[in-house]
Amino acid sequence: MASSSRRAVLTGIGVLTPIGLDQESFWHSLQTGRSGIRRFQSFDASGLPVQFGGEIVDFDAKKYLDKKERKNLKMMARTIQFAVSAAQLALDDCAIDKQQLDPTRFGVEFGAGLIATELEEVGEAARVSANCQPGSVDLAKWGEQGLAVMPPLWMLKYLPNMLACQVSILHNAQGPNNTITESEVASLLALGEAYRIIARDQADFFLVGGSDSKVNPLSLVRQCLFQPLSRRGDAPEKACRPFDRRRDGMVVGEGATVLALEELEHARRRGAKIYAEVVGFGAAFDRDRSGAGLARAIRAALAQAAIGPEDVDHINAQGYSTGEADAWEARGIHEVFGDRRTPVLAAKSYFGNLGAGSGTTELAASALALAHGVVPATLNYEEPDPECPVTVAAGAPQPVKRPYVVKVSFTDMGQCAAVVCRQWG
Amino acid sequence: MGLERTMRRRVVITGMGVITPLGHNVADLWKSQVEGRSGVGPITLFDASRFPTKFAAQVKNFDLGRYVPEADRWANSGMNTQFALGAATQALEDAGLVDNAKLDRGRIGVYVGSGEGIQDFHHLMSLIARTYDPGRREVDTAEFARGGLHDFHAGREFEQELHTTTAHLAAQFDLQGPNFTCLTACAASSQAIGEATALIRHGDADIMLSGGSHSMIHPLGLTGFNLLTALSTHNQEPTKASRPFDLHRDGFVLGEGAGMLVLEELEHAKDRGATVYAELTGYGSTADAFRVTDSHPDGRGAIACILGALKDSGLKLSDIGYINAHGTSTQVNDKVETLAIKKIFGDGAYTIPVSSSKSMLGHLIAAAGGVELIISVMAMRKGVLPPTINYEEKDPECDLDYIPNEAREKRVGHVLSNSFGFGGQNISLIVSQFSE
Repeated sequence: MASSSRRAVLTGIGVLTPIGLDQESFWHSLQTGRSGIRRFQSFDASGLPVQFGGEIVDFDAKKYLDKKERKNLKMMARTIQFAVSAAQLALDDCAIDKQQLDPTRFGVEFGAGLIATELEEVGEAARVSANCQPGSVDLAKWGEQGLAVMPPLWMLKYLPNMLACQVSILHNAQGPNNTITESEVASLLALGEAYRIIARDQADFFLVGGSDSKVNPLSLVRQCLFQPLSRRGDAPEKACRPFDRRRDGMVVGEGATVLALEELEHARRRGAKIYAEVVGFGAAFDRDRSGAGLARAIRAALAQAAIGPEDVDHINAQGYSTGEADAWEARGIHEVFGDRRTPVLAAKSYFGNLGAGSGTTELAASALALAHGVVPATLNYEEPDPECPVTVAAGAPQPVKRPYVVKVSFTDMGQCAAVVCRQWG
Repeated sequence: MGLERTMRRRVVITGMGVITPLGHNVADLWKSQVEGRSGVGPITLFDASRFPTKFAAQVKNFDLGRYVPEADRWANSGMNTQFALGAATQALEDAGLVDNAKLDRGRIGVYVGSGEGIQDFHHLMSLIARTYDPGRREVDTAEFARGGLHDFHAGREFEQELHTTTAHLAAQFDLQGPNFTCLTACAASSQAIGEATALIRHGDADIMLSGGSHSMIHPLGLTGFNLLTALSTHNQEPTKASRPFDLHRDGFVLGEGAGMLVLEELEHAKDRGATVYAELTGYGSTADAFRVTDSHPDGRGAIACILGALKDSGLKLSDIGYINAHGTSTQVNDKVETLAIKKIFGDGAYTIPVSSSKSMLGHLIAAAGGVELIISVMAMRKGVLPPTINYEEKDPECDLDYIPNEAREKRVGHVLSNSFGFGGQNISLIVSQFSE
């Protein structure tokens, strides 16, 4: 294995979630067990079989951007607005003087997913192209008249790489810039990659994030078609119950978290506050979705951190709250941690599945836990499932007892990642 | 040469595969490059007759069944996944990695720049048309939802998700190592190859299947680029439309396809007696941080990126024997890329042959870098530099040696390949003749 003397620490955390639009309210909700899952409010969802989730209400991107930058917002879909806003929060939190930052050593890396077009933006083009046949439009009319009534920059508002691009433009970040588009593992892979880039001396400072919004009619129709969603509409705040025996599916959420990841000496020189150190990263493909691949990713991350499972305070799980995925995740965790009863935190129980934003958002809960010395409890864990051999930390928050946390993320198709963070100080 | 570089694990290319508008294997693609053929023609995948641009470089007669058994399993997948499976089959067979039980499959990963699947354009737009109220400029979301649940196909909707391509590759070929998908527009596959190289160097894997796959030749893709006026509208003679560095260039031409490479740690390749095609010696990655619509006019990001790749490789400027340009055939790109090359290489820029594969293949977007790196490797191996076709009239601002219209015999030891993405991501890769 290659080794590096360059270390990377988390010096800023910017969160925009259904349980808080800033770090303080996010942490407060996690401490007090406040769920962000409720009935959708922003549009008429009555045509959908699932009408609840982790929705962000009262979001106004203008609050986060300088006046001269606000004109760009109209070119950004909601997901991108989340991203640039959370990036600003992270920068504010790490209190860095941008003048002191070498732009060529400042990287940006995001996890992102598909971004659904706002229906109204193509409404007129669709209308003028309609023909009398169901399920088809007249492409000749679309080409001739439809294009003329669409916004010229339409596509740029929805490209997944625009999260990282817009952030780089707003903050003059000229270093490496990547967009990982691997569903729910995306932003944890982004963090792992940025960590490696800092270690190999190609950047000193990174904004690493994930952002996603599926709380819109088109994305929700698609989710209802192919995702195993919870149907517990009578009690939305009880719907997301990772590893619980009565879990009945995933809950859709939206939001973004951006982390400032900084080379240790760079952070020290400017006297930065440090939340935690990133000390290990591993990734693998779980071919059979048995947990074996997830276990390999965790072992690789632990090996890089040069620690064993006995050093881990808690595991921050993916915890989809689906029957199948929670079971194989639990088997993977058990394969590494055995019967050690290492506590498991499943943060989705608070805000649902933030898609490409889930990795960094969930990790933020554990980074704050290490910094505050308290681990939040998992919500809605009431009855253990024999199929899920893990010790879920439920009930009240618990004190941090060991210096390391393992964060895992994976996709429904088996792409897995694990990151190990160490408590600072 | 710094200590870090002399100590680090070396990464070589041991397999290559392509699905392109000019051939479904590396040999056919290479033949077309030497002959200077164009793969551009009228769009036949859908009715583009009333779009501003009516042509593209389509992949012809692609049959997934020639590469994988039970091809119907991917019937719901977009062309990005199907092309990727075709190109990956070739690359992995070429490298002797298919059903090779002697290898630890956990040490073989995937890192691919992959585009979106293809939206169900007709169902989506006809549904919006039915539920849109032009007076209020609003869609009835409840009606839209009911209609969508009825009209959309669950399997095809799922296959649009961006993580599916690399998961299919890993599952089909039993590649259980690290698995990444990136999508940084036109830079994506080069970025994938660069970061996959970094994973091997670091020790995360011994082998990575890497490259890109994409098709944007669909109604919304053409719509998006036409709205941006980024595409050539040279409808009267499509084969002449892609003319990088020529004075009369008027935009890029959409292409589609996949280019996949097997990257492998050198000692691992030697131990198993693999054929080494080339060494991946340099990788640079920067952002313009300028505008989403334009690259930086001084080539700021491109220059830093090329310099980064050179530094990573430890090579001298004079070592670079050929540049496979990004060369999109847009006014701005070709001018800025030329400027960047001149800023870096000085007077030496005029003695380095530069050409754009996009003159023949069109722009494969997320797949472009992977295919172009394979062409770069072939140029080195064959001692022949492919031309820039349709180069007819010199642009005073583009005054380098673009290998106009005819391939040229020249032995080169190191090739620089550039990819610059929409939004400002810049990637440069350097491949070198392998020597101990």
